This record gives sequence, structure tokens and C-alpha cells, in this order.
Amino acid sequence: MAFSKFINKWSGYFFILPGLLFMIFFLVFPIFYNFLLSFQNVTLLNLNGEHAFVGFANYVTIVSDGTFAVSFQNSVIFTFLCIVFQFCIGFALALYFNRKFPGRDFMRSILLLAWMLPTVITATLFKWMMAGDYGVVNYFLQSLGILDKPIYWLTEAKTALYGTIIANIWIGVPFNMVILLAGLQSLPEHLYEAAKIDGAGRFRQFVNITLPLLRPTILILLMLGIIYTFKVFDLVLIMTGGGPVNASTLLPIYAYKLAFTQYDLSLGATVASIMFMILVAIAMVYLWFMRKEEQL
Amino acid sequence: MIRKMFVLLLSATFLLITACSGATNTSGGQTSTPNQSASADKTSGEKIKITWWDYMSPEAMVNALNKVIKDYQDQHPNVEIERTYVPFGDLKNKILLGSAAGQLPDIIWIDNPDHQAFSAAGVLADITEEVKEWGQADQYFEGPWSSTMYKGKNYGIPNSSNNLALFYNKDMLDSAGVKPPTNWDELREAAAKLTKPGVYGIAVAAIRNETATFQFLPFVWQAGSDLTNFNSEGTIEAISLWKEFIDKGYMSQEVLGQDQQAIMMQFVAGSVAMMVNGTWQIPELQKNANFNWDIVVLPSYKQGGTILGGENWAITSTTKHKDVAWDIVKFANQPEYLKEFLLAAGRLPSRKDLIQDPAWQDDKYLKIFADGMAVAKARAYGPEYPKISEAVQEMIQQVLTGYKTPEEAVKEADEKIKPLLK
Repeated sequence: MAFSKFINKWSGYFFILPGLLFMIFFLVFPIFYNFLLSFQNVTLLNLNGEHAFVGFANYVTIVSDGTFAVSFQNSVIFTFLCIVFQFCIGFALALYFNRKFPGRDFMRSILLLAWMLPTVITATLFKWMMAGDYGVVNYFLQSLGILDKPIYWLTEAKTALYGTIIANIWIGVPFNMVILLAGLQSLPEHLYEAAKIDGAGRFRQFVNITLPLLRPTILILLMLGIIYTFKVFDLVLIMTGGGPVNASTLLPIYAYKLAFTQYDLSLGATVASIMFMILVAIAMVYLWFMRKEEQL
Repeated sequence: MIRKMFVLLLSATFLLITACSGATNTSGGQTSTPNQSASADKTSGEKIKITWWDYMSPEAMVNALNKVIKDYQDQHPNVEIERTYVPFGDLKNKILLGSAAGQLPDIIWIDNPDHQAFSAAGVLADITEEVKEWGQADQYFEGPWSSTMYKGKNYGIPNSSNNLALFYNKDMLDSAGVKPPTNWDELREAAAKLTKPGVYGIAVAAIRNETATFQFLPFVWQAGSDLTNFNSEGTIEAISLWKEFIDKGYMSQEVLGQDQQAIMMQFVAGSVAMMVNGTWQIPELQKNANFNWDIVVLPSYKQGGTILGGENWAITSTTKHKDVAWDIVKFANQPEYLKEFLLAAGRLPSRKDLIQDPAWQDDKYLKIFADGMAVAKARAYGPEYPKISEAVQEMIQQVLTGYKTPEEAVKEADEKIKPLLK
């Protein structure tokens, strides 16, 4: 009797045990270890020796370093602009592809290419296209008479960040489109028919039916988008390497440079921890929104 | 509520335990290594396995290395060598990870500016005694040898070397009536005359990584300055020269994002008339350039000078077979093996005896670089060099983008560099 009671009570936990262990080893432990590193003074020179506990000294060093402020600001601009444009363009395309027309499926899969290409290829292509002397972007702008002299997109402090933003928008649009399209196609047709009978125009239908029903999809999409964009690394490393000076250094690039080119592993971990906390804060906001939704 | 708190606390404790036990395991593994080493060497009946990491990928170089390995194994049947190719960009991180996890190979190749940092980190074995017994230290050039030394101890021996020189498009210089520049004034003049629509007079690689420092330091030395007295007239003159090239349109602003391969492509495409580049580009130029080109030593200013690149052999401190590993390193450094590899790789010997070989003395391009070896300086500035280089790169880019004046940027870089030089 007692045994079956025990089984009933605990069997569920046994089923989740493998998953739980996996999470602990591959997610929780690395994150925890990263935080631990950020409170120590580990560099290449004492990697195998004693590590002293230094409290918040690393956080103080990072926050008072001018590069942190610059890369934080860059990360915010990068994430904000990328999300706004990816979402708007993605939404427009999703609405477009939600209609029926010949060749629709083919076009849709072609658009996905941008998202499926390895970042190394995309980044290298954009680097060439935006090159100041021989880039095709300048060539077009100049032959159309928009520019009278070339812009050095990726080597000019004012434009380098925006060059990488444009490339990242191009990468992110298909993802936004696909998710929104899936959401659109799950919307019940009869609501639109009813709205039509009531005399609602296309715009009215969009604002009063499409947007409210898509709300959960949009929330999760923005949330994923922010997380993905905030940690973009390879694209920028290849296109500009964070330069010129620090004009396009984002937080992940800053963390990478500290840990793997200057070998200050603890400072790198500190930046990674700060990024982690920012993302957790964003996730909290999302959860709060979702909970409000459920209570309605 | 209280139950929830309890569950949270419990999981936190669990985490702590996992973390701590993980840490003790690693350190335990490392301390046991030296104990095992003594016994392992004596068991001669068993096969000894030596692991080796390098970053050489082209077929000709790999063949040369495989020949060394095969010959050594034939002569020493009880030794098995396992060579692993690690891409250059990954090598340092792999060594770091391997060192933290206690899983390093026995023999590694290291890019020479990083050698001191890894020596100081305790990753590499002190082979001072072995080198003394070997007695060939004086055969090596001063530059490469200094990169293997840290605090008077020897942590490796140089393998191949390379240095920088000025490559020029001979057709363009001839039609512009310009002689190859030998000093900074002539360089300015040549750059001005060679620049025309679609062609830049000169290119250097100023991308924001070690490459920029590598290309910039020779100019600093030529102007009589150094990292040890960075905030001085010479450094300001050197960076002002680069800035002047960009301001006057002799050099593309694009160099801020270009590495040495990228400026090489511009040179081959005929859009750059002169470039600062290294020994290893010769084979590729011979294959791809459809114009006449030639090489001269870097122009001098207050003095001549060039910078040393290349890689060194090292034995890791965690090896269980230090004597075997050292024997292999000695074996591979016999002139007949070394020469084959160096020629395949388009590199220079670090040895004074080998560089007298006709293979380098009779080749008109290689001869320029071979002569440069006598004056080539290594980036041997101690274990904090990666951070010093970071400050130099930032300074270069600040000035070239016009973000700061040369005086301001050099002064700030100097303040960062000073405490890093020990």
C-alpha cells in the first residue's frame, strides 16, 4: 500500500529526471559557473592556479570602462532597430503571402534562404557589397545619382553599426515572416466573414481582428527576436570586427575580446553575466504580459 | 509560499555541490599527472603515444610534416605520434580549454607573439636544461630566439620565421617613372605619384586585430620609438604617416577593415600599387599576379627595421613524456627536414646556418626577406602583450578614423601600455 502510494507520488519526478539532469549539466551549471568566474580574478596567467574571490571588483572595472558604455549603447541601438524593421517588413511580407496567388509557395521558400544561409556567408557577402571602393551598394547609389562620393559603410565610425544592422535585418526578416504567417493562417476565416457582413473595411479587420488574435504570436516573436538579436556575434565579428575603434562593438563582441583575445576570462564572464541579467529581465516582462493575458 | 522557497533553496544548494565537486575533480586530475610521468617513462616495452598540434593545412606542408613523423616512427618503433591539425584561429582557445581541462597534447606550435603569455601561464614546459645540452642556441637569430624566452628561461625553440617587406607593382612604378622607395620621403612621393583614379598608391592592413599591430610596429621602430617609450615623437610620426596617406587619398579608408589577405587581393587586382606584406604571400603572387612585381625592404626613416612573425615549437608542462617529445623536436629540427618544410611553406629559417642555403640566398624574392632576418624584431614584450596590442590597435583606429588626434590617442594608449610592461 505504502509502496504504490510512493510510486503514485514520485513516478512523475522519475520521468523528468533525465531531462532535469541534462538541464542542470548543460544549462544551469555553465550559467552558474559563469557567475562564479565573474566574482574571481581568473586570467590566462593563473588559469591552473589559485583563484581569489574579488567580490564585485570585476563589475566595477567593467562599468567604469568606457568601452562597456559604448558597447551597451550599440547593443541597444542594434537590437531596437533590427527588431523594429525585421518585424514591420516581416509582417508586411506575411500579410502578402497570406493571400493566394500563383507561385506563392515557391516565393516563400526562396525568401527563407536568407535565414538558412550560414552567417559566415551572409556576413562576407555584405562586407563585399558595402565595401567603399568596389562595393555594389555604392555603385548603385552613385549611378542613381544619390551619392556623389562613396560611403565607407563599414570603416566609417558613423555608419559601421548601421551597416551591420542592415545585414542583420535582412537575415531576420524571413524568421519574422514565417512565424507571423503561421499565426495568420491559424486565424478562423469566419470572423473575417462576419466582419465583412458588418461592414468592416480591410484596415478595420486588421486592427480589430488580426492584431488582437495574433497578440500571443507577436509577443513570443518579439521576445525571441530580442534574445536572438541581443546576442548576435559572428555577423559583426566578420563584417567589422567591432571596429572602427569601437563603433560597432556589441556586448557579445566586447565579452569575446576580453576573454579570448586579452585572456581576461573573469572580465569576459562579467560582461556575459550582465548580458544574462538583461535577458532575464526581458523574459520576466514577457512572462508578466503572458500572465496578464491568461487572467483575462 | 514557504514550500516554494524551500524548493528554491534546495535546488540552489544542489547546484553549489555540483559546482564544487566539478572543480575538485579537475585539480585532482592535474596534480596526479607528474606522479604518473616518472613511471611511464621507464616502461619501455609499452608503446609511447605522443600527441602534437599544429596549424599547417596546405598539402605540401602537411606532406613535409608527415615525412618527419614517419621517419621518426620508423627509427623509434615504440613511439607513436598523433598529429592533429587545429585551425590557426582556434589554436589559442583550444590550448586555453585544454589547459583548464588538463587535456593538452605533448607538442604544440605557437604563434610567436603568444609564446611568452603561454609560458607565463605555466602551459609550457621549461626546457632550459635540454636546450643547453643540445648546444645549438647560438645558431638561431636573436629575434625568433627572444620570443621563446621568458624571465631568462627557455620555453621552446623557433621553427619558421617570416617578416614584412614592401611589395610593388613594377609595371605601375615604371610607367609612373618612380623608383622603389627606400625611405619615408620617397615612400610619400611614390604613393602620391602612383595614386590615380581606381588605383591607390599604397596599402597596409589596419583591421582591428593583431594584424594592425604587426603592420604598424615596424613603422614605430623605423621612427626610433618602441612600445617601451610609446608616447614619443617617433610613434606620433609613424601614425601620422598612415593618417596622411588616407587624408591625401593615397591609401583607401577601407584598410581599416582589411587584413593582409584582403590587401593582397587588392594588389593582385591592380587597385593598389604598393603594399606592406609578408614572406608567405610570394607563392600566391607567383601564381595569381598577371603583371610584373617585385619586393624591397621596408623604407627606412631614422633607421631601418622590420617585424618578425612565425611560429615556435613548445612542449607542454603536462606532458608525461618530456624526453621523448624533446627528442622529436630535435629530430624535426635537423636541417634536412626543416628545409623541406620551410620551402613548402614559403617561410624563412630561424637558423643562421640554414639561411645561408642557396634555396634562400639565390631566390631574388626570398633573399630580401632572408636579409631582413638580421634586423627583424620579435614582439617579445612579456605575457601581457595581447592587452598591449589591443591598446595599439585602438589607437591606430582612433587616429585613422579621425576620432582623435595622433598626440591624444598615443598618449592614452601609452597610459594603458605602461602598467602592462613588466
